[in-house]
Amino acid sequence: MNRGNRILLSCTYWAFVLYVFVPLFLMILMGFKDSKFIGFPIRSWTLDWYTGVFSDSEILYTFGYSVVIAVLSTLISVIVGVWIAVLLEGRKFWGWTVTFALMILPALVPGIISAIAFRIYARLLGIEPGMGAIVWAHAVHNVPFVVLVVMARLSTLPKSQIEAARDLGADPLIAFMRITLPYLVPAILGASVFCLLLSFDDFVRSFFLGGYEPTLPVLIFAMLRSGMSPEINAIATVALVLTAAVGIWAERFTRRANKENQA
Amino acid sequence: MTYDASVRKDAAGATAPTGARPFWGRLVQWGPYRAFAALATASPRRQFAILATFPILWLLTQHLGPMVQMGRVSLLDAYPVAPGTPQTFTLDNYMRFFGDSIFWMPFFRTLAFATILTFCTLILTYPVAYFLARHVSRRNQMLMLLLLLVPFWVGEIVRTYAIMILLGNTGAVNLVLKWFGLIDRPIPFMYTGFSMGIGIVYLTALYMLLPLYSALEKLPKSYNEAAADLGAGAWTRFRRVTLPLTLEGISSGCTLVFLISTGFYATPVLLGGPSTTVFSETIAGFFHVAGDQWPTGAAFAVIMFVTALLITGVFQAFMKALRKGEKA
Repeated sequence: MNRGNRILLSCTYWAFVLYVFVPLFLMILMGFKDSKFIGFPIRSWTLDWYTGVFSDSEILYTFGYSVVIAVLSTLISVIVGVWIAVLLEGRKFWGWTVTFALMILPALVPGIISAIAFRIYARLLGIEPGMGAIVWAHAVHNVPFVVLVVMARLSTLPKSQIEAARDLGADPLIAFMRITLPYLVPAILGASVFCLLLSFDDFVRSFFLGGYEPTLPVLIFAMLRSGMSPEINAIATVALVLTAAVGIWAERFTRRANKENQA
Repeated sequence: MTYDASVRKDAAGATAPTGARPFWGRLVQWGPYRAFAALATASPRRQFAILATFPILWLLTQHLGPMVQMGRVSLLDAYPVAPGTPQTFTLDNYMRFFGDSIFWMPFFRTLAFATILTFCTLILTYPVAYFLARHVSRRNQMLMLLLLLVPFWVGEIVRTYAIMILLGNTGAVNLVLKWFGLIDRPIPFMYTGFSMGIGIVYLTALYMLLPLYSALEKLPKSYNEAAADLGAGAWTRFRRVTLPLTLEGISSGCTLVFLISTGFYATPVLLGGPSTTVFSETIAGFFHVAGDQWPTGAAFAVIMFVTALLITGVFQAFMKALRKGEKA
């Protein structure tokens, strides 16, 4: 490949990086502006918006509320997802394709349709809008992601290990608990973090299934509708730093675990 | 194999790493567990039934259930059904869609937007994926990919807000244009189809980038070298070798991005204006009110979902035919 092409391509990459980072960078920057008015120029700087966020008990409560929802829904997604993955991976049975299609369905339904389908179904089941409904909707929506990640990992598990365990007298449950599950740990951790982020960041389901208490994205949305303010920047920046940190940590962790397993 | 039962149990204990043995060893020897295990593993069929029951029930009630109930509500003439009256099914909710342009205009606008934006995302991310897969060393590939992943972990609302700040009248784009003396007064980017498009591409780019990247990464470099040896120029190599062999990645990336961009709600509300109302806002409108409008909202959601599935289905079939044609 000639050099001109290469330089052109690397320029598109870095332009894309700019496109992805500049908006977020500007958003963070505006959170330090000493004025109620969002936009350039910035004449003086302040940390007041941040101290405001950390001393506002309502906002802190919303943070906690979102985290609790994320953790609970992730727990459900992971248990169900691992179970479905074990059923689907490496097994042939009548209706496999239909089962797989059903499994992937929640991930393919466009956001708004998924949200109102859950809203309608919650009413049928008698679940009131609120925390329970959000946890349930997030859990169902995130199951396919767990299944896909765990299935990928499961397909690399050497069959001989299970057979060895069975020959040594372990029944299927023991073999699963002692061989399969430990082998799946990196995949489960990776999937969990992914679910946590999906749930913490989710707006549309939380919006339609929420009661009077907003989750963090719903709170930011409500604040935005009544106008931009550096206070929103501060809240959004805290959320951004949290999600990015968790994501990077998980990425590093799963990569290291994968390497160790290959070695 | 003919092991005596007691020998088998011993062996099960012996595989245990130090420290873990007592628990599993004891569990295996524990009467009720042994009875349960004997019962559960009596035949492969029973084992499978125990493994499969819960997932199948979950899939039917939790994955399929909401869609079925949405379809049922969309056919009801009143919801909730008043106690004591029989529920009557009707197609009126679907007919309402065709009756008024404030319903079908947003629908076609959404489809047009989603199609255009999918195409823009493809054009925008293909060179990036190509660069990452073909021109960067293995080690740097992961780092440079991670660099792009980080912003995508940030939520939909936060990123939409970031775009609002970027494109506002006192935002960075207008500031830069003014500096260079290109404009006197700010260009009103916000609350137009343009700002909405920028926002949606910003949210979906990764779903295009990753399938493209993995398709390009799988493509052996030797193919291109062989084509070059045979005298093909850079453009011919791309058109005749790289592009046909990455059609699968293009197809799955486009499908994902199309489906996702039809479903955005918050982004059009925050970045769009009155002239860019999309169908998700129309659907949502029926759910802000108490409940009597739900059947119409559900019907509209079914229309949207079925159309989106049809379009992506036809698109995938087309791409498949194209792939076959290239192979022949």
